[in-house]
Amino acid sequence: MLVNVPGPWSPLLGRLALSEIPYTNPILAPLFIVIVLAGIVLIAGVTYYGKWGYLWKEWFTTVDHKKLGIMYIILGLIMLFRGFIDGLMMRTQQALGDGPGDNGMKVMGAIHGYLAPFHFGQIYSAHGLIMILLAATPLLVGLMNIIVPLQIGARDMAYPYLNALGLWITTAAVFLIMISLFVGDFSHNGWFGYAPIFELAYSPGVGVDYWIWTLELVALGTTLGSINFLATVVKMRAPGMTWGRLPVFTWTAVSANIIALTSFPCLQVALALVGADRYLGTHFFTAGFGGNLMLYTNLFWLWGHPEVYFVILPAFGMLSEVIPAFSEKPIFGYITMVLASFAIAGVSWIVWLHHFFTMGMGPYVSTEFSIATMLVGIPTGVKVFNWAFTLYRGRLTFSAAMLWSIGALFLLLIGGLTGMMLAIPAINYMVHNSVFVVAHFHMMLLCIVYAVFSAIIFWFPKIYGFKLNEAWGKIMFWLFSAGTFLVFFPMFMLGFMGETRRLDWPFNPQWGPWFDVQEIGIFVYILSVLAFLWMLYVSIRDRHANRVHTADAWGTSRSLEWLTDTPVPFYNFAMVPHINALDEVAWRREHGFMDKKPDHFKAIHMPNNTPIALYIGALTFLVGFGLTWRVWWLTLASLILAVILMIYRSNKGDPGYIIPAEKMEEMDRESKARMLSDDSHQVPHGGGFSGGTVTAYTALDRDASGSLTPPNDSRHL
Amino acid sequence: MPFHKFIRRGKFVLTPALILPLAGCAKGSPWWIFDPKGVGAHASFIYMMIDVGVMLAIVGATALAIVWFMWKYRKGSNRGAYDGKWAHSNTLEVAFWGIPIIAVGFLAWAVSVNGSFAVNPYNPTAITKHLKPNGDPIDIDVIATDWQWLFIYPQYHHIAIANKLVIPAHTPVFFRLTSTAVTTDFFVPQLVGMIDVMPGMRTKDALMSDHLGTYQGIAADYCGAGMSWMLFKTHVVRKTDFDRWTQMMESNPDTMDYQQFNRFAEPYINVHDKTPAWGHVEPGLFDHVMLEVMNGKKWPLPMFMTENMFHYLKIQAAEHRA
Ligand code: HEM
Ligand SMILES: [Cu+2]
Ligand SMILES: [Cu+2]
Repeated sequence: MLVNVPGPWSPLLGRLALSEIPYTNPILAPLFIVIVLAGIVLIAGVTYYGKWGYLWKEWFTTVDHKKLGIMYIILGLIMLFRGFIDGLMMRTQQALGDGPGDNGMKVMGAIHGYLAPFHFGQIYSAHGLIMILLAATPLLVGLMNIIVPLQIGARDMAYPYLNALGLWITTAAVFLIMISLFVGDFSHNGWFGYAPIFELAYSPGVGVDYWIWTLELVALGTTLGSINFLATVVKMRAPGMTWGRLPVFTWTAVSANIIALTSFPCLQVALALVGADRYLGTHFFTAGFGGNLMLYTNLFWLWGHPEVYFVILPAFGMLSEVIPAFSEKPIFGYITMVLASFAIAGVSWIVWLHHFFTMGMGPYVSTEFSIATMLVGIPTGVKVFNWAFTLYRGRLTFSAAMLWSIGALFLLLIGGLTGMMLAIPAINYMVHNSVFVVAHFHMMLLCIVYAVFSAIIFWFPKIYGFKLNEAWGKIMFWLFSAGTFLVFFPMFMLGFMGETRRLDWPFNPQWGPWFDVQEIGIFVYILSVLAFLWMLYVSIRDRHANRVHTADAWGTSRSLEWLTDTPVPFYNFAMVPHINALDEVAWRREHGFMDKKPDHFKAIHMPNNTPIALYIGALTFLVGFGLTWRVWWLTLASLILAVILMIYRSNKGDPGYIIPAEKMEEMDRESKARMLSDDSHQVPHGGGFSGGTVTAYTALDRDASGSLTPPNDSRHL
Repeated sequence: MPFHKFIRRGKFVLTPALILPLAGCAKGSPWWIFDPKGVGAHASFIYMMIDVGVMLAIVGATALAIVWFMWKYRKGSNRGAYDGKWAHSNTLEVAFWGIPIIAVGFLAWAVSVNGSFAVNPYNPTAITKHLKPNGDPIDIDVIATDWQWLFIYPQYHHIAIANKLVIPAHTPVFFRLTSTAVTTDFFVPQLVGMIDVMPGMRTKDALMSDHLGTYQGIAADYCGAGMSWMLFKTHVVRKTDFDRWTQMMESNPDTMDYQQFNRFAEPYINVHDKTPAWGHVEPGLFDHVMLEVMNGKKWPLPMFMTENMFHYLKIQAAEHRA
């Protein structure tokens, strides 16, 4: 033991003890049994149908960016659900517990509502961490993973193995926070952590340790991912894909990942120092012995504010893809859109103090940060205006994807308005730490969720070859929006009534009616979750009827990902296309290029699958678990093993494998046949294979016959 | 809670919508932020209205434009002319950057700069500009513990009271604030905005109210399991009543030195809304506490303290602190 922790400790099990398992808790114990049973059924099912080999070969060891992206999205959706259940529990606690008087549930040990502070604190802390870092982030990273390489005409990410590593380390973080439900407890100190309450004296349990290592793991996974995205966009663009032709979504991915790469280390350092305080007995953030607890708050938000833009920028990118497609028009002000993304990314670095104006920094400093914060509003405003004027003179189809995108615009407007209120210190003093702030950032984060649903509906057919059910997509949208209104309009009102955040017991009976409205909203949200599941079911059931037989699923899409076959084959593009314009697919449609097919093929080089990423991910989970419970041997053993694996893999490298040109031609023919196979569907066949002038895949020079080297420069037609 | 109460509340669901328009005039309004009774809170309220006015003009116009475009350019409605190439306009883009720049410029001066000085917790010009030479401002030392508030009146024989604040109307009150264990926020929504209260450190705040009444005070920043109960009522009373109150307090035989404070500061959830008072506390207690904390004094929390609140209340009673 490096520092004395309260409670028992043994070398073999660390702080683990039977008393740390909440087997008497009336909520957790049954939940645990249900999860164990579900797990057994799942394992038995996979074994019965003999699918282990398939799972292992196609998913667990894959390095294909699309499959990794899909797994990121599944992970994100599961955690979105977990976070939603947390939200439901918090809303119910406040609705039941509001006001004076005996309204507690004795079996639960609560004197108000049904949750004692001990449990309530864990729930909101887990909720925030999960929603921002383990739901929104994986959903966005997953979508970027799938779409960015397709949009720039690459076969995969620059570092496929690193990509898998990022996924499995993020998954380890998910397992760590999920296991805290059943083994020990989670932190009480909110998703961002308060100094010095996270010090050992004031948080003696393992909760804060779970929080530290979960965050460290996501931070690691996301940083690795961001390196990969940047390298991919810089190095792997198809010929002709100049910076000026990069789709807006890819641009936002670049700006977001620059933020991630530069800011996550800040979080990692801050948390490492918290860890040093708790494990080594240092005094970085303690109140006494020369520690500086305000330093933690600065370090955290120095990452925390850029982080919120890391998650909103890709969402802005999605809106910028969906809105033009369903307006049948290019995005308005492409250059301004790109500039605004980078302006936001840049300014996001100099505003962090607005998260603690109340610390008493004096009017000069606070004015400066207040104005810097308002500066963010300028490019954000420009973006909204540009989206609005993309609709202008368009031909709008209100498909489910479009509805989600337009919904996101309205949430962004409300979030921006309230953000500009919070940016003023004089106003901030009155509503900081109140549920008004909570409502503000939920508008922003829900804007992201709306954009993500929009993007999932929009790109789903590209990956799976059939569309999601439009009607249920819209029903879900309206239910979800009703839920959003019923939960968050009251939350703004409660902010004006002075309700502060994180109250286990909301003491004021006058808040009660609003809590009840919110509770109704939660039930409407539940309906929308059911609508989502039903949408998936109906869509999969009717997948043959909803098949897409063209590369461009919507008929009005614009960027490069819509050029290749549907569903996208594992090599993405049989021949790397040559890019001629911004919005390449729209350009080709207009110039009659869409049915041009490559007439000759090249051998391609693809990466091999590897289980090492999965192993390292599993080991990082053990490192985190061992550290949390102070089981030193486990920590050390897993850490050493992970490092050995890393060195082993780096030395071995991956030569990849070559698919010869003839094989490519055959696969391409099969893929095209698969896409078109449907007697009832009239799509012009072929035309490409048998020759003709192919100017879309090799080179635009008409004289470069047979030459496989595409020109480096781009040409205007 | 009893389920029927949950149901009964249902009929109040619609009332808030009716309360909103009455917020300004209703007595004892629940809309604390819209019903400021302190000089600082009032200034903040005015700045909020200016800010919202400007921003709502822009945001509202944008929202209307979006709705209008949605109506006009819906495919098949044939209301607006389609131009599938139109994607750029210098005039519009200048306007798109220009409008927010002008708005931010105006807000920066009108509310950000002015407001920051007007309600600067250390020297709020909204209050200090009007200080009378002999206005006799009051000093109060505030010590936040896990989870109680201690208010000490150094000018009045170092009387002290916990979890209840009494101040005279029309008089500036200056606070020095510190905390024993962890950070929290001092906040009286209708009187004064939040200020952090941090262990081993001193912050300042100032308050003045011209409205007699009782206002809810809150520990606004999460500071542990007892936070929800860490409340204090702020009584704004006539100067004469205040003087009478201080005299009564001074005659209180209970006193508190640092040792006794040490015990007072042990973790305690004020479920029963106790407001103990002392006729005299050790002079300089505030600085003493701050120094001790800087030198490493802690008041550690037991594990699983609030896993079962009934269990905790039993312990509290056994320690004669209930
Ligand atoms: C116009 C742009 C925006 C402005 C001016 C703005 C302003 C602010 C300010 C001043 C705060 C601090 C409030 C307080 O604690 O007192 C805040 C909190 C927050 N904002 Fe924004 N914001 C903007 C956009 C966003 C975006 C795009 C997101 C991303 C999703 C976001 C997410 C958050 C979060 C998560 C918090 C609170 C974190 C916490 O305390 O738990 N905001 N915002
Ligand atoms: Cu939430
Ligand atoms: Cu921020």
